[in-house]
Amino acid sequence: MVDTIFIGLSLASVLLLVALGLAITYGAMGVINMAHGEMVMIGAYTAVMASLYLGLGLIAAMPIAFLVTAAIGLAIERLVVRRLYGRLLDTLLATWGVAILIQQAVRLSFGFAFLGITIAGLGPGLQNVSLPPWLGGVFSVAGTEISVYRSFIILVSVLLAALTWFLMYRTSIGMQLRAIMRNPQMAAACGIDTRRINALAFAYGSGLAGVAGVLMAGFKTVFPDMGTPMVVDGFLVVVMGGVGSLMGSILSAAILGQINGLAAAVSNDIIARAVIFAVVIAVIIWKPKGLFSYRGR
Amino acid sequence: MRLTKSGLNTAAYVVFIALILLAPLVFDAFWLNRLSKYLVFGMLGVAIALSWGYAGILNLGQGLFFGLGAYGIAMSLKLASTTSLAQGSDTPIPDFMLWNAQPGAATDLCCITPGSFLWIPFQSVWFGIAAGIVLPVLVAFALGMIMFRKRISGVFISIITLSVVLLMRLLLVQAQPLTNGFNGLTDLGYLTVLGVEFDPYMPQTYYLIAISLALVLLGTRLLVETRSGLILQAIRDDDRRARFLGFDVPRYQAFFFCVSAAISGYAGILYVMASEFASPTFMDLSFSITMVVWAAVGGRNSILGACIGAILINMIEATVSETPALMEAWRVVIGLAFVLAVLFLPRGLAGVATGLRDWIVARRGGAAASLAEPAEKRS
Repeated sequence: MVDTIFIGLSLASVLLLVALGLAITYGAMGVINMAHGEMVMIGAYTAVMASLYLGLGLIAAMPIAFLVTAAIGLAIERLVVRRLYGRLLDTLLATWGVAILIQQAVRLSFGFAFLGITIAGLGPGLQNVSLPPWLGGVFSVAGTEISVYRSFIILVSVLLAALTWFLMYRTSIGMQLRAIMRNPQMAAACGIDTRRINALAFAYGSGLAGVAGVLMAGFKTVFPDMGTPMVVDGFLVVVMGGVGSLMGSILSAAILGQINGLAAAVSNDIIARAVIFAVVIAVIIWKPKGLFSYRGR
Repeated sequence: MRLTKSGLNTAAYVVFIALILLAPLVFDAFWLNRLSKYLVFGMLGVAIALSWGYAGILNLGQGLFFGLGAYGIAMSLKLASTTSLAQGSDTPIPDFMLWNAQPGAATDLCCITPGSFLWIPFQSVWFGIAAGIVLPVLVAFALGMIMFRKRISGVFISIITLSVVLLMRLLLVQAQPLTNGFNGLTDLGYLTVLGVEFDPYMPQTYYLIAISLALVLLGTRLLVETRSGLILQAIRDDDRRARFLGFDVPRYQAFFFCVSAAISGYAGILYVMASEFASPTFMDLSFSITMVVWAAVGGRNSILGACIGAILINMIEATVSETPALMEAWRVVIGLAFVLAVLFLPRGLAGVATGLRDWIVARRGGAAASLAEPAEKRS
């Protein structure tokens, strides 16, 4: 029982890591960023490259990945998303195109592959990151063996959620962002620089995805297409939790993680994933605004 | 003859249909088979344009209907293949079922694997064809009635349809003894109806697909011109206003959602005839989004534009995919084209064509002709 709950918790923390960034970009701006999964992928590749070229471990790669993906997120906002505010469904399509471009950039070593140059750590193949020994083992609680790295991920995701909560509810920028979430026109009329805040929020959300990617690299194989299923998972969490509600995303990640863990324990992983989809479809049909949304029409 | 906007629209349809019907004069069997697959994708473009452009429903799970259609006919054709007939039983048995058979189970469709009895009616090809169209429509009807009655709209529809197609794909893969899982259905027989054998490399298969596409194109075009079609467009532009005017909004949306599903299911049937396999990849998320890409590049508001967009993109892709390096570069081009089309050409290639048409009419037809047609028609 303890191990099922722990596995559920660990799945929930991974979901939350991906969903946190989306909760901000989608919740705040209504931008459906299909390239969010690619931000996770870039984060994971940053971990690969950092250990390959700089000899850095996972912990040191996290701030680097945050900066790299935040910068890319900022560029995407400036070049693409900014032109599409008010055309929500179109952001979905345009960022899907961006996602393809990013995948190809990695697969083709930024295009150098055409010149016959391959960059170690990039390319179409699979990459791996080795864990530092102190994160590798297991410890036991109440007779159940628990992986140190899984616990570490849970810890980091809790810290990041707390940090995001602090930024949104205890800083001036966060207050402005929440004002934009409630009513963008009114916020702009009150003198909030919505463009600047939106760009910052997009960069921060992308940065979080980058950190998530580094953590993923610790227990998953890294490859150019790894992001696509993640963006789906992330959206399921955010939509089920309720658009614009940070607490909703956290709770819905926890619920989905536990359901996934339980279903996987009873049957298998494929069935567990199917159950997740069924649950989310039912929730959206039952409560289209999500379980914990406060935003009215 | 004086040039008018609707005259040029009709001309575009006539030219396109003439081109696809005359293609066998130019192409050899190999290319004709390829082209027939792209015409099927063009049919998917029509389905997307109908649901996205005219109904405002961005369905990210169109692959579900395509896949259901494909599996419907593929099950029948699997039973009609020579290997299924040669498994040492009176009735045909798919080879993969023998590999997945329960120990000691009778070699018969009734009970060889759990659920294999579902295959029994598919011994009739007509049942497979009917299932390939009826099943998508039933699913679309159920899904549509639930979604539209609950007034779910916009991106939530996209998320639901996307989840449904991924859910279905998982179940399809999971039901390995029934569907051959990841491997899909391969080694299919040819479809033989009314004494005609549809070998994918013979002209009759191409003509069947080309004529089907022409009929679907014209039928859809006429359908959106009807009163229901106009009400549908009114709902797309402002559903609340349509509701206040007393229209039963969910019924119209569900109806056109079903039509779109039927077209996709039929496309699935034709695709299996041309390609001789059905696979769970039809229900991949990327395939469903790729269909939307075709429609967006061709022109989401234009039935013919979305159709041509799908065919063109796939023809270019087939030409460049001969060299692997170009193939990778092509994906870059597709990604870039998509971003640029959404940013700068929201009406796609059809928007360019419409602009060109209006320019020609203004130059040649004179101002009087364009004044006589106050309502801007969609091409």
